[in-house]
Amino acid sequence: MSDTPSQGPGKSIVPGWVKCPQDFIGGLVLVAVSLFALWACSDLQGMHGFSFGPGTAPRMFAVLLLGLGAAVSIVGVVQEGPGLQRYAWRGPLFVSLAIVFFALAIRPLGLIVSGLATFLISALGTPETRWTETIIVGVCLTIGCAVLFPYVLGLPMPLFPRFLVQ
Amino acid sequence: MADLFHNLALGFGVAVSPINLMLCLIGALVGTLVGVLPGIGTIATVAMLLPITFGLPPVGALIMLAGIYYGAQYGGSTTSILVNIPGEATSVVTTLDGFQMAKQGRAGPALAIAAIGSFFAGCVATVLIAVLGAPLTKLALAFGPAEYFSLMVLGLIFAVVLAKGSVLKAIAMIAFGILLSMVGSDIETGASRMAFNVPELADGLGFATVAMGVFGFAEIIRNLDAGAEMDRDLVQQKITGLMPTKKDLKDSFPAIVRGTILGSILGILPGGGAVIASFAAYTFEKKMAKDPSRFGRGAIEGVAAPESANNAAAQTSFIPLLTLGIPPNAVMALMVGAMTIHGIVPGPQVMQKQPELVWGMIASMWIGNLMLIIINLPLVGIWVRLLRVPYRLMFPSIVVFCAIGIYSINNAPVDVVLAGAFGLVGYWLIKHEFEPAPLLLGMVLGPLMEENLRRALLISRGDWSVFITRPLSAVLMAAAAGLLVLAVLPTLRKKRDEVFVESES
Repeated sequence: MSDTPSQGPGKSIVPGWVKCPQDFIGGLVLVAVSLFALWACSDLQGMHGFSFGPGTAPRMFAVLLLGLGAAVSIVGVVQEGPGLQRYAWRGPLFVSLAIVFFALAIRPLGLIVSGLATFLISALGTPETRWTETIIVGVCLTIGCAVLFPYVLGLPMPLFPRFLVQ
Repeated sequence: MADLFHNLALGFGVAVSPINLMLCLIGALVGTLVGVLPGIGTIATVAMLLPITFGLPPVGALIMLAGIYYGAQYGGSTTSILVNIPGEATSVVTTLDGFQMAKQGRAGPALAIAAIGSFFAGCVATVLIAVLGAPLTKLALAFGPAEYFSLMVLGLIFAVVLAKGSVLKAIAMIAFGILLSMVGSDIETGASRMAFNVPELADGLGFATVAMGVFGFAEIIRNLDAGAEMDRDLVQQKITGLMPTKKDLKDSFPAIVRGTILGSILGILPGGGAVIASFAAYTFEKKMAKDPSRFGRGAIEGVAAPESANNAAAQTSFIPLLTLGIPPNAVMALMVGAMTIHGIVPGPQVMQKQPELVWGMIASMWIGNLMLIIINLPLVGIWVRLLRVPYRLMFPSIVVFCAIGIYSINNAPVDVVLAGAFGLVGYWLIKHEFEPAPLLLGMVLGPLMEENLRRALLISRGDWSVFITRPLSAVLMAAAAGLLVLAVLPTLRKKRDEVFVESES
């Protein structure tokens, strides 16, 4: 959902007769989500006799969400309300990148490398980062985590890159 | 009555074992530590620290989590008073008078009164849980699936009515949450639902994963929007004289009692819990006061009442969880997650089959509160220093910590990516002013609701009228319908908005 385009309050993709673009778009997205859910459980068996099949409840709540989403949209058309808010790109991008990197790296590269790299990548999320202190704190935090999680808490996770251990 | 003392004695027997005392202390300390850091709310704190309790025995894990919860609560009030930044939503109102007191050089008494009020509220709430626990459990055992379903509907409606913002949008979020809870395997047939043949989704979306995404990552991303350097108006002068004067104590005692009563009642009700309690207590004190203009200028009652109320509510919100198995708010929902990981299904059965677990936790809450009052006052200096850590260094640390935490739940990298995705979803929700808390509540109650709905309809042979023909269920449904009507009525809506506006200004 991060692909929702960012825009200023002035120029809007929403037609002028919509009084609250924030709710209008929000409701439409919920409608889309519920349609997607309906499609995703379309192959599931429904009611047989008076007992529920696996698909009954998901369809029921998807239809409920469809109705509610539509209602939110309609209210957005008639009732005055706030416009769309501006989206920042820097924070979401680098924090997401850091998270994805961690997920990919934790198994092959171990906690120490992936932890430090995740710290540094997410630090790119703000222009205010000062690199010397960030690197020092990052190293300390990584060492702390490397002691805390596998040793103190006994959670199984690799510490070092796989190619170094073998 | 004899039962009550027997239960409490059993509980204290469990709670004072050295290892459990240690866990309680660590939980309360770590909770306070994270609670003091601004930008991480109670829910994110509990979600983030969930994994560190995995290796513990169930009783220990719950004791520690409870400690983290009220520690975080307490840490939030410390920052409210000292730097005018509420660490938690529950201590937003504490900033109004607490920070003013600090500016007048009375930070010490403000902190002390907050701690004393919290402790008093904690004592009362502990007794209340013990008193109400047994009868409510008996009531719960008389509940059939229809009653359970109706009760959950009532609970969700409560959550909507007490939540901030649009009622319609909150209900939509609940439906979204319930829908999310249905990803995975069907409970009865085992059929895979909306899992798209992804093996990691076969067990459903992890609750902690979604919570960490929507509350942890989304909060970080949102905070970065505003620029990492939030201005902090630190109280620079040294904090001297912790002890409140006799007059302070005399002024604040009635406020503490009133706050405790109000908080205890609001905590049991599902929905807002501690947040609502603190708002309500503050408003009530202001109405009660002979000279309301003192409020907002450092009135000690303005610190005492909301702090007692939020602590009382935080603890009594365990009542519906322990007796009925229904989490009244998002933090309790996380506790359910923690219990499930340890193989415990919360509800009346736990109370009967594993009394040492329940009563041990209840007793440890009282001990934990006592510890907080003893350890925290001397540690205030350290907490203040902690506040000087800039956000630009803190948020990468939180990202790393959350990522490791999520990974360690199932050792599944996919979970980390999912949490990241839900972080973006949460960011989008914030941008469109959808509240994430009802979504989480819907997600927790979803499986319970589906199961009870199915069973109720199976027993009634497909007759939907079962929800209104069984007397108990009918009462619950009627209450839910009545509440919903009230919430949509314009007069009450206006009142409700006023409460929030006042608290935010």
